[in-house]
Amino acid sequence: MTDNEALETHLQELRRGTIVLACLRLLRHPGYGYGLLEELQGRGFDTDANTLYPLLRRLEKQGHLRSEWNTDEARPRKFYRTSAAGHRLAAALTDDFHAIAGAIAALPQED
Amino acid sequence: MNATTFTERYILAVTRAVPEKQRDDVAAELRASIADQIDARMEAGMPAADAEREVLLDLGAPDELAAGYADRPLHLVGPRYYLDWLRLLKLLLAVVLPCAAFGIALGQVLSGAEFGPVVGSTVSGVLSVGVHLAFWVTLIFVLLERYGARPPREETESWSLDGLPQPRETGATFGDMLSTLIFLALGAAAILWDLNLGFVPGENLSFLDPGLWPGWVTGLFVVMALEGALAVIVHVTGRWTVPLAVVNAVLGLAFAVPALWLLFDGALLNPAFFPTVVTSGDGAEVHQILSVIAGFGIVGVTLWDIIDAFRKARR
Repeated sequence: MTDNEALETHLQELRRGTIVLACLRLLRHPGYGYGLLEELQGRGFDTDANTLYPLLRRLEKQGHLRSEWNTDEARPRKFYRTSAAGHRLAAALTDDFHAIAGAIAALPQED
Repeated sequence: MNATTFTERYILAVTRAVPEKQRDDVAAELRASIADQIDARMEAGMPAADAEREVLLDLGAPDELAAGYADRPLHLVGPRYYLDWLRLLKLLLAVVLPCAAFGIALGQVLSGAEFGPVVGSTVSGVLSVGVHLAFWVTLIFVLLERYGARPPREETESWSLDGLPQPRETGATFGDMLSTLIFLALGAAAILWDLNLGFVPGENLSFLDPGLWPGWVTGLFVVMALEGALAVIVHVTGRWTVPLAVVNAVLGLAFAVPALWLLFDGALLNPAFFPTVVTSGDGAEVHQILSVIAGFGIVGVTLWDIIDAFRKARR
């Protein structure tokens, strides 16, 4: 494994949980796969489509998201919305993220 | 090749791994998402065919995406059972293959085969025993992986310090249980094979007395089934206890006492076996000696098994 691949792997692992948190917070307003992908990328969450789409389904299966097909438009889309359990999870993850950010800031500085 | 074909083929490749019930839903959602992404690129001025190509290439290998969607294991034996599987398979191969090689070669030599055929049937016999062993052991673990009762390790909330594996052999591990079950199954298979086909090629000659079938053999199988059940109970309990060791002793005696009684009554081993196999005429004498060895073997193994269970229960 080259240094670059190792860096990519570690970055991916570091970001994985933050994407879950971002989805749960963004989907308080219903959203669909590609629209959410755009919004995540626009907000600085570097996400791949092939990570996001299965992730939405997993969160739905766990009960953190609810989904509904919207067939009003020419292209039917599956809309997701954060459930009550999803909101509680988002709050817990946000608290934890702040705690981690604080803990990392308190680490000895890298030169 | 027209433009829709790539997208549809891609969706087909992804949804193969998705359970039937959700397949249409996943396909419809993926189709809309891909179309959205293609549209976005076309709005930026890219030709339709290039846009589709780029979107699908960006989505990456369909197998990886499929693995993300599948909510079932895409492996035969996962981390939960891998170490048990590996240990048991290695152990069984190390024990059974040499025994099989020795047994087959001995059988061939006793039946007077030439050197070439002896080597030939030993090699092919060992190969087929090895393949069977690996297949059946793996199959059991594959079934456990999919239908096993224990939750995956990361979901186990109720693990306790007491549940940590002991540094000593408790005789109640998963591998202990499975090796007992498999040895019992192989033993039953060997007995049936012996009585129906015989182990000496070319001769329909059993090692055990044919008169044991069906009554005594059925009784033996019942005892063996109970031993198998006991192995499962010991594993589920987590260790040998004194009551379990008592049950083990009763089962051991239920095997050994009738076996010894039959042996000294001359009704356990086939009296025709050695006179037929040993062509020099000393067959009756070999039968005599083998009977004594078998008697000591039965007593020794049974006693050791009974004492060992109590020893493990007391620790």
